Amino acid sequence: MIRPKVDFEVNVEAEITPELATKPIEEIKQFKVYYGNHLVSLDELFEVEKNGSEEVLVLEGDFSRVKWVGVGMQSGEIIVKGDIGAHCGAFMKDGRIIIEGNADDWLGAEMEGGEIVVKGSAGNCVACPYWGDLEGMKGGKITIEGNAGNYIGEKMCGGEIEIKGNAGDFIGTEMKDGRIIIHGNCGYVGGDMKGGEILIGGSFELVPAFVKTEDGFVGDVNVSGQGKVKALK
Amino acid sequence: MTLHIKNGIVVDPKNGIAGEKMDIFIKDGKIVEESEVGKECKTIDVSGKLVVAGGVDLHAHIAGGKINTGRAMRPEEMRFVRRKSNGLRAAVGRTLLTSPAIGYEYAKMGYTTAIEPATPSIYVIHTHEELDSIPIIDKATLPLFGNWHPVFKYAADKDVEKMKSFVAWVLERTKGYGVKLVNPGGVEAWMYGGNVSGLDDTIPGFGVTPREVITTLIAAVEELKLPHSVHLHCNNLGVPGNYETTMETIKLAKKFRNDNRQVLHVTHVQFNAYTGSSWRDMGSGAEEIAKLVNSMNNVTIDMGQPIFGHATTMTADSPFQFELHKLVKAKWCNKDVELETGAGIVPLVYRPKSPVNAVQWATGLELGLLVDADKIAVSTDYPNGGPFTAYPYIVTLLMSRKFREEEMKKAHQYIEKATALPSIDKERSIEEVIQMTRVTPARVLGMENKGHLGVGADGDVVVYDIDPLNYDSSDYQAILKALENPLYTIKGGEIVVKNGDVVGEVWGRTFWVDASEQTTTEIIEADLDEYFNYYTVKRCNYGVEEGWLHNPVRITAG
Repeated sequence: MIRPKVDFEVNVEAEITPELATKPIEEIKQFKVYYGNHLVSLDELFEVEKNGSEEVLVLEGDFSRVKWVGVGMQSGEIIVKGDIGAHCGAFMKDGRIIIEGNADDWLGAEMEGGEIVVKGSAGNCVACPYWGDLEGMKGGKITIEGNAGNYIGEKMCGGEIEIKGNAGDFIGTEMKDGRIIIHGNCGYVGGDMKGGEILIGGSFELVPAFVKTEDGFVGDVNVSGQGKVKALK
Repeated sequence: MTLHIKNGIVVDPKNGIAGEKMDIFIKDGKIVEESEVGKECKTIDVSGKLVVAGGVDLHAHIAGGKINTGRAMRPEEMRFVRRKSNGLRAAVGRTLLTSPAIGYEYAKMGYTTAIEPATPSIYVIHTHEELDSIPIIDKATLPLFGNWHPVFKYAADKDVEKMKSFVAWVLERTKGYGVKLVNPGGVEAWMYGGNVSGLDDTIPGFGVTPREVITTLIAAVEELKLPHSVHLHCNNLGVPGNYETTMETIKLAKKFRNDNRQVLHVTHVQFNAYTGSSWRDMGSGAEEIAKLVNSMNNVTIDMGQPIFGHATTMTADSPFQFELHKLVKAKWCNKDVELETGAGIVPLVYRPKSPVNAVQWATGLELGLLVDADKIAVSTDYPNGGPFTAYPYIVTLLMSRKFREEEMKKAHQYIEKATALPSIDKERSIEEVIQMTRVTPARVLGMENKGHLGVGADGDVVVYDIDPLNYDSSDYQAILKALENPLYTIKGGEIVVKNGDVVGEVWGRTFWVDASEQTTTEIIEADLDEYFNYYTVKRCNYGVEEGWLHNPVRITAG
């Protein structure tokens, strides 16, 4: 169990993964994180408690300014009882992250596998590639019970994103494969989409370069794409 | 500082030394006789290890407009940390390395010299600033001539005298080392949406052909007695069936003669060695090109070996880059450089399971195995074929048949049909690969003090953990490990790398060629004044002064 000791004045960069929970308590306390530009030990900023030796991290309290939690994690579980900061679960390969509050931007960026569940809402750039890269999310599943922001699933190559609420603009831009399900409404969808599937329950705006077919739309014709945008049944 | 490298086993093909136990002495940055070294000499004992000259890369895009635009275009490259600072500078980049990373990575694999082969003259100040921020290695840059309006004009007039003047004027203004041509005429045609398809197409607006441009420039370079010959990127690069154009171009050299060196260096030939009529039936024309190059004594080539994985293609050949962008649908950047040249940049991944990429990979290796070792240099055309850091991998492939078999298993089996690589049993000896990475490139560039360990040569010495008299070519892991991690890299007598890690930073030199004694610029003064009416830069502001360079070395032509 990790709990913030103070309200953070600047962001914390804590590349913590469930693997840390299996280490001896002293090692956990000495794990180095950045507080602004200072390199500090985990226990200078957080109360650390060890219960059992399972590969489970429980984060309790306001982690909305704590970035890079679960980056590249390969197994185990992270439970966040509160909000979480940006880049949570980026490059994740396997395991599970459950966020009971809201998630900030770049949730599951370039994720390859595993599962992320957000009980609240998520920010922008969910499952995106980092700037310049050609491939976003490649596998795994992200479920968002609330709403999500803009640029969801950009350059997505596999896996699934399910949003129970509404989403913003530019969904599935340059998407290559995989599936995005939005139960609510969203803005522009499918720009330069090459493949994959977007299913939408509510209203949405389609970029003009899509062709209507029997059960939805196919495009983006500008890039000879075969992506599908359909109504969620 | 003086240095004594003791008991190493020296391989120095230029001086006929093929694995002799010898001591090497370095004083004031040069290799000297034992008698010149005093008592306050540092000795390093390298008993039983391979001792060779520092590597020379004659073609790597390491500085200037293109690579810098590439870096801006590919932020994702900068996520790859090669070296945290540890007292020196931090080094990042996957295929587009930052300037410190370039210097460190060359030194880390035993290279001490690299040449930037394509600089638009108008950007040359920036090129030199970037070259100056690359640590350790010696360097030089080749300005681009193949699509420059005055060049077309003088070639159309068959005016070798004026061409000589122009070349000498450009080399002085750019502090350049030699003459580079990229798809002569093609980039000019691209400005009208076209390209040239071969040596005899007319270049729009000038009534002249690539053949005339190439031959007039060869004549000018030969008469100026430049240390390096014309350095040519052929027409039709990257197009199936282009090996015919390449062969025809290589034959242009037959009209010229030079007893000391080649008259034409054709670069990254792999990209110009394809048979077939489309990407569906493309194959390798390497065998025929190798036969032709081996039969001539005035042409040299380099490999342009692609490496499976990420690369960033960048060349002054803008029409080709546009086609590539359409083909692979990756992001693209075009650059038009006033009246001089152009460029394009496209990221690329060479995939072993792609038939085309597999053939490209095999074609480069065929050239590396079939062309005589004194006529071919190792290159990846960095970053077009992949990072130069793959040189140990390439050399190991050339040295070990077993390694090639292992790597071929990963590649698409189309190479069995389309290339001769699977049937080539040849394994390059250590002498041959040292020839291809040191002696040949130094000779091609006309750098007399590079690529060998004779008295008077630069004190650039590398020690590898391998015994040249007793190694097993099938144990390719050991060879690769040794080549990737030199025990020592010594640059100008200073130890810069120890056990594969950078331990010191020295500052390299920038070579440039002064050909002003071979000609006079008087005959082109009026042309130049006229030419600058159409330029965004005034003539008095054009080019770079020698004092601007960090550590320049002027070489007088002739």
